[in-house]
Amino acid sequence: MLQIVDVSARYGKTQVLWDVDLVVNQGEIVALVGSNGSGKTTLLKAICGLLPLSSGRVEFLGRRIDGLPPHAVVDQGISQVPEGGRLFPDMSVRENLEMGAYPSQAWGRRKETLEKVFQVFPILKERQRQLAKTLSGGERQMLAMGRALMSGPRLCLLDEPSYGLAPLLIAEVFRIVRGLRDAGVTVLLIEQNVKHTLETADRAYVLESGRVSLEGKCCDLLQTDYVRKAYLGL
Amino acid sequence: METFLGVVIGGLLIGGLYALIAMGLSLQYGVARVLNVSHGEFIMLGALTTWSLYTAFHINPLLSLAVCGPAAFALGYVLHRTVYRRILATSPSPGVFESNSLLASFGLLFVIQNVALIAWGANTRGYSYLAVPVSLFGVLFGANQLLTLGCALVVGVAFYVFLARTRVGKAIRAAAQDSTSAALMGVNINSVLALCFGFGAALAAIAGMLISMCYPVTPVMGIPYTIIAMIVVVLGGLGSIPGSFLGGLVLGLIGSLVTYIEPSLTLVAYYLIFALLLLVKPTGIMGR
Ligand SMILES: Nc1ncnc2c1ncn2[C@@H]1O[C@H](COP(=O)(O)OP(=O)(O)OP(=O)(O)O)[C@@H](O)[C@H]1O
Ligand SMILES: [Mg+2]
Repeated sequence: MLQIVDVSARYGKTQVLWDVDLVVNQGEIVALVGSNGSGKTTLLKAICGLLPLSSGRVEFLGRRIDGLPPHAVVDQGISQVPEGGRLFPDMSVRENLEMGAYPSQAWGRRKETLEKVFQVFPILKERQRQLAKTLSGGERQMLAMGRALMSGPRLCLLDEPSYGLAPLLIAEVFRIVRGLRDAGVTVLLIEQNVKHTLETADRAYVLESGRVSLEGKCCDLLQTDYVRKAYLGL
Repeated sequence: METFLGVVIGGLLIGGLYALIAMGLSLQYGVARVLNVSHGEFIMLGALTTWSLYTAFHINPLLSLAVCGPAAFALGYVLHRTVYRRILATSPSPGVFESNSLLASFGLLFVIQNVALIAWGANTRGYSYLAVPVSLFGVLFGANQLLTLGCALVVGVAFYVFLARTRVGKAIRAAAQDSTSAALMGVNINSVLALCFGFGAALAAIAGMLISMCYPVTPVMGIPYTIIAMIVVVLGGLGSIPGSFLGGLVLGLIGSLVTYIEPSLTLVAYYLIFALLLLVKPTGIMGR
């Protein structure tokens, strides 16, 4: 579904991604893990058109999407929970969700989609009139996820959706991510929470200093000494 | 009591115009990040066009809205698509964009002003429309002034509803709050910014049309209005469009009060408010 081939990217003169290859197949949850500053968010920016590639290509459903502006990438059916959520602080919860349905195909169906999203996130229904900036941290993450679903995406990119949440809520986030897959949404999941992630995802890539250092089925990775030592502390 | 009411109503009359002008600049500076010092030139173009249409063809000033509004919108839209978008694409950082676009709008100010001087000459113009006194709470006001306030409120409220309710309006607000995030929701940022610029110019031209009903107009009338708009935008909170509207009314009231006490101090009072505001609450009354 999503194919990242030999992608390199830089901020000004500093190169951050080096020849990254990554594939996400339809219906999978693919995890991207790696330490702070390894380039996970940068790779997401390269996929969604926020950062131009210095080489390589990105294909979605067989079509090249690198070089497209971000809004055109969204129109292809790719939505995301950006790092930190990036809600619209002075808009209500409901308006934030409506913004998620901005693409013209989704806008007409936004009322039905809203009801579906409210079923997944009942708290958002309760809070729908509240301004996003007044939400608690957990509610914000829920809103960011709900908003990413409003366009009816085929592929959802999640950048640390469980960041800063209490253990109970983290488990809830992972439950929702599995629910996405069950609902037919393909997921590329960036996470710091390696144990939970490897237990949830189908396959995973480990990024180190902008290079893919390890990849494979999650069940296999969980067994490797390297992952157990470096990321699980076992 | 009567004088108090007179001061208040007088303040609202001028404040309504400030509100429109500031709302326009707020779209251009608060959302599109262009500190458009040529804002007042669009006011001037609206005013002089209305004057020409009225004196040459006897077209009702209110009807010239149908000409000035769309024409100014188109001009603003195209300007953003050509000039400012290019500057945006070539600027390495938001700071560089702000300073370069400021320079470009300075250039634009002189171009528009000189074209207007060639087209209309340097004379002060004016016409008389509905200049009949109306008594309100025992104080006399020009009917044209009251009409001006009415129009400003209608346009202001209509625009507010547009921003609050429509898909494009929501996209504009989202882009004002976090333009990258808006892009990730599927908003075409370049077109939204161009729309903002167009709406800003249209609001300025409409304000100019209203101003021409009550005050004399010249090709060099724009700059004082630009300065007032900047003060109001800061007063109302950068990026807050309702804030700009309220700020305009507030500044109008203050101006009216100061004018009542000592007319020569009005502008001084505006600058004083501006300076105090920057020192005490630079985010404005409704700013984040
Ligand atoms: N806008 C930027 N300009 C310059 N350098 C940047 C920029 N954004 C990120 N970097 C650098 O690129 C590298 C990768 O950053 P990135 O945000 O992709 O890391 P990450 O893997 O997402 O980390 P984290 O887990 O902390 O979110 C870092 O060294 C960072 O300092
Ligand atoms: Mg990151």
